[in-house]
Amino acid sequence: MTPKQRFLAVLNGTLPDRLPVTTHHLMPSFLATYPGGMENEQFFDMYGLDPILWVNAHMPDTSKGTRLDPTHVPGYLEPHRTVSDAWRVTAESLPHDRYATTRYTFVTPERNLTTVLQSNEHTAWVSERLIKNKSDIDIIAKYATLPLCDVNEVNRRADAYGERGMVRGTVACFDVYGQPGTWQDASVLFGIEELIMETYDDPEWVHAFLQILHARKTVFLESTKGAKFDIMELGGGDASTTVISPTIFDEFVAPYDSRLIETAHAAGQKIVYHTCGGMMPILENLADMKTDAMETFTPEGMGGDTNLAEAKRRIGDRVCMIGGFDQFHFLTHCTPETTRQAVRDCFTAAGDGGRYILCPSDHFFEAEPALLEAFADEAGKCTY
Amino acid sequence: MTTIELLASLATCVERGKVNAKSPFPPDLKGQDGADEITVRALAEGATPQDVLTQALMVGMNRVGENFRDKKIFVPDLLMAARAMSASMVHLKPFFKSSEVRLRGTIVLGTVAGDLHDIGKKLVGMILEGAGWSIVDLGTDVSTQKFLDAVKEHPDCLVGMSALLTTTMSAMEESVKRLKEEYPATKILVGGAPLTHEFAQRIGADFYSPDPQGAVEYLNTITPMSA
Repeated sequence: MTPKQRFLAVLNGTLPDRLPVTTHHLMPSFLATYPGGMENEQFFDMYGLDPILWVNAHMPDTSKGTRLDPTHVPGYLEPHRTVSDAWRVTAESLPHDRYATTRYTFVTPERNLTTVLQSNEHTAWVSERLIKNKSDIDIIAKYATLPLCDVNEVNRRADAYGERGMVRGTVACFDVYGQPGTWQDASVLFGIEELIMETYDDPEWVHAFLQILHARKTVFLESTKGAKFDIMELGGGDASTTVISPTIFDEFVAPYDSRLIETAHAAGQKIVYHTCGGMMPILENLADMKTDAMETFTPEGMGGDTNLAEAKRRIGDRVCMIGGFDQFHFLTHCTPETTRQAVRDCFTAAGDGGRYILCPSDHFFEAEPALLEAFADEAGKCTY
Repeated sequence: MTTIELLASLATCVERGKVNAKSPFPPDLKGQDGADEITVRALAEGATPQDVLTQALMVGMNRVGENFRDKKIFVPDLLMAARAMSASMVHLKPFFKSSEVRLRGTIVLGTVAGDLHDIGKKLVGMILEGAGWSIVDLGTDVSTQKFLDAVKEHPDCLVGMSALLTTTMSAMEESVKRLKEEYPATKILVGGAPLTHEFAQRIGADFYSPDPQGAVEYLNTITPMSA
């Protein structure tokens, strides 16, 4: 089988020739440091993993007066931003002694919204939330542009990738620094602790906020019809039970993201629901959203709660499972034999009958080359 | 209600996250008095501030910590419990200065340099506050120097450090080593998703727990609370 056939087999619930093995995002700092500087595709070839191509191609809805932002140079995995006369984004570098710091201002006819992002060599984060007052969501509802999927660009890149591997997209995130899941996007824009407390204090406002973000994502997903994604990512770690309760998941996460999954299916797309954190208390709730695949099945050693064998038993016949590998303990500071055993353990726990892709439970910042080689090589021996 | 009954009711309010009479949460206690009102009543009925702390707030938060450890409740439940506890503590604060309420001591908490994760460390702070400790929260991305300055300012304190990223565990190691060099008697507790007992031992920390309640139980062994 080609890598693409292998991925599609497990996503479609049929048996592959062997266990598919890949990674989540490859962090630029990792690629620049560990293998001595290389691109994504070189990484897959060097270590023998099944490749993934991430494609995030957006286009403006010109009938609504929107356009691609000429001032925006997309960063890693970031789509080109769409703007309009009523929704412009300006960026201003701020002085900081340790981190690259940028204030983004969303300029609208009524008032401006601001957010501040910081980054270091490993990652980026929000240091000032965009939503500071509850009425700020009305500005978003009224003026934010609705990006569409650039189907031609997705297909151009997918065709060029061919049988090499899986083409993965992302449900549209909010501008500048957003996330694919509706709840997760809201969390990034408002702050997770604040959002949790508002579910108790002002649940109507939380629902109004989620509805605004959901509407934006719905328009995007409807526009993906015909795009040759193999899978699109939805969700986010703030919907995990490491952060929220099953009660909040059922009331504030599932109703919105399950409708997005329905929209994606209507557009001919498959969805992988990303939950980096606790999953075990909500495994069935996640599967009930009718997602095609679930990730990251983070084990306890990585701060999650997954018992991979139990997860397979409970939902393995309903969805494709991606992840479950402890990259912290088995891609660093151990022997290749230990890594190989960890691969075998994952295969034994979740590989039965297919529907499983071996993958680190989310991205990693560090991994030793010899252990990466053992990881991929041992997976190649896990045949069906 | 007797004072004992009021204190038991207050402990339940903390455990269930019932803040005050206006609070709609939890739904089955809607319309009933919460931690705010019951604290006022307990003090008016003759309970001492120390009773409120040790026989109600600490009891309630201990149950919360145990339930969280046992995965019976989740972070939002803990946040609501902490809010209920804070509603009660407002009425005890005046007694702190007059020493009518005796706390166990001070714990300096911080997420180590380069790490912006806040919520786990805050949860630990809430549980420890509920166990009778005064918390000095240095926030996130805390440099070694900031930890050193805090220990200098609070000479008998303990230190709790959090790291959620594998890339910031080295910063934790550096902070622990520097603190132990300058303040060898200071107990240091560490926690965070990627940490292990082995890592904690290797860097010279005194204690590691995968959950906040483990820290409470460890601290109970080294600093018992006098009634």
